[in-house]
Amino acid sequence: MENIISRIDRIATENPDRIAYDYLGRTNTYGELKEKSDALAAYLKASNLPEKAPLIVFGGQDFQMIATFLGIVKSGRAYIPVDVHSSEDRVKVIEEIAKPAACIALSELPETGREVPVISRERLDEIMAEEGKPVSEEDYVKGDDDFYVIFTSGTTGKPKGVRIAHDDLASFVDWMDRDFGLEKEQTALSQAPYSFDLSVMDLYPTLTNGGKLEVLPKETTDNFKQLFSRLPEMKVNTWVSTPSFADICLLSKEFDEKHLPDLKRFMFCGEELTHQTAQRLRERFPNAQVFNTYGPTEATVAVTQTEITDEVLENYQRLPIGVCKEDAKIILLDENGNEAEAGKAGEITIVGAGVSKGYLNNPEKTNQAFFEYEGKRAYRTGDLGRFDSNGQLMYMGRLDFQVKLHGYRIELEDVDQCLSHVSLVERAATVPRYDGNHKVSQLIAYVVLKNAEFENEFKMTQAIKEELKETMMPYMMPQRFVYVETLPLTQNGKVDRKSLIKEVNR
Amino acid sequence: MKDTVLGILEDLTGSDEVSKDLDVNLFETGLLDSMATVQLLLELQAQCGIDVPVSEFERSEWDTPNKIIAKVESMQ
Repeated sequence: MENIISRIDRIATENPDRIAYDYLGRTNTYGELKEKSDALAAYLKASNLPEKAPLIVFGGQDFQMIATFLGIVKSGRAYIPVDVHSSEDRVKVIEEIAKPAACIALSELPETGREVPVISRERLDEIMAEEGKPVSEEDYVKGDDDFYVIFTSGTTGKPKGVRIAHDDLASFVDWMDRDFGLEKEQTALSQAPYSFDLSVMDLYPTLTNGGKLEVLPKETTDNFKQLFSRLPEMKVNTWVSTPSFADICLLSKEFDEKHLPDLKRFMFCGEELTHQTAQRLRERFPNAQVFNTYGPTEATVAVTQTEITDEVLENYQRLPIGVCKEDAKIILLDENGNEAEAGKAGEITIVGAGVSKGYLNNPEKTNQAFFEYEGKRAYRTGDLGRFDSNGQLMYMGRLDFQVKLHGYRIELEDVDQCLSHVSLVERAATVPRYDGNHKVSQLIAYVVLKNAEFENEFKMTQAIKEELKETMMPYMMPQRFVYVETLPLTQNGKVDRKSLIKEVNR
Repeated sequence: MKDTVLGILEDLTGSDEVSKDLDVNLFETGLLDSMATVQLLLELQAQCGIDVPVSEFERSEWDTPNKIIAKVESMQ
């Protein structure tokens, strides 16, 4: 496998003037990317910073960020992207766990009493403008060396730094090249912050093929007028985002094929793609492909994929997450850690290429989730799944949100799923209330209604229950319904069930 | 009208800060994010009968309770 960085360098050497990055109209070329990353690598190589120790990169989504990532990797070290919107506490705890060689601060870094050196943006600009002796390709991160470390978003407890090696990333990029029909030189939407590994899905498959990244920073996506005026200008053909972001875009009547004729495919990752979202996209963009993908950060972004065609929409209420890439495989494990019988559900476990070495400086958590299987690295996802008769992997929810009520096992996400099919309901999240013995006493459904106007809460609940009875086993029926305007989300835009659980058990 | 808007904002942000300080910046303080903004527009439509197309929503014109109240009053 060719080195990822060498692939990007080769494009820069052959076509230095090709545009690599477009940040709201401000563009940078492959040539600049190579020059700046070479200069940073030369500086780091000549510095006294400890070898092999990773570097934290703190900042937003501008071009300097990716030039910095590549410079660090060229010097033989891994980078740890930390988003500019992170809280001071999060920055502090990541520094404590990661023990970085240095922090590169492209935005003002919160003061944490750190002892490691900080390279400011001004200093970085100077370094990147110098002409150093380029480092040899031999020095680049390669093989099983860590390429990046991404910290999980965990809203409770300590975040874990997932170590992704060069070859893990190379396997992912290779799979994207082969199985998604991406053309060379694609123009990809780059919307996710770099601290969220969804960004890896647009970044490296695009740069290794000479494509262009069209960046939508958070400030733009948050301001809808700017977002919708910028979208058609970007001429994106590959859309990479969470389904939630597509849901926001779908609110505009101008989010369709007529206004965005270049769009050829949607690639989703990071949370469950609902039938409703996929259906709307198929209607608005009949000539574009919609891909659902699945995978944890611990197995390098994603490992399964499937195209959601009209036929799939017809045959599935809950969408399949697809088939595994060739150089890895999925096994389903039962409670005892044995492979589940054919057709039975089990814990989705990923074996082979792309599976991380584990969590940075955290052997305890690493040993809990990672193990060796047939001589290869394996990771237990904590997700429940099964294969259907078409060989498609079906996601069935988180194992840690499985509760027992009156002896029945209940998947909270199953309850949500049933609720979301009720005609009055937009979204829902169900959480358990515990009694003094840590046993579940009640299920409480937080419900966002499609039309927030209603006369009588009691009548509304009755109407929802009536409809739910048709699809839901009686023991799954929530005892309480709470009507809310929105559900809390985690930093990565997923429903933050843990905070709701906290709220009801206060 | 003012009370309706503040009621919506209190519900969305889960905080009465929005009624105490009518010039608080809802976005810089993290009281509202983009998902909540979407809900705000839907609520204003349902409860105040004003229709703001999402593609016309300029954040700086809506970033404090006072500005939102003025907007709603001007659109009615």
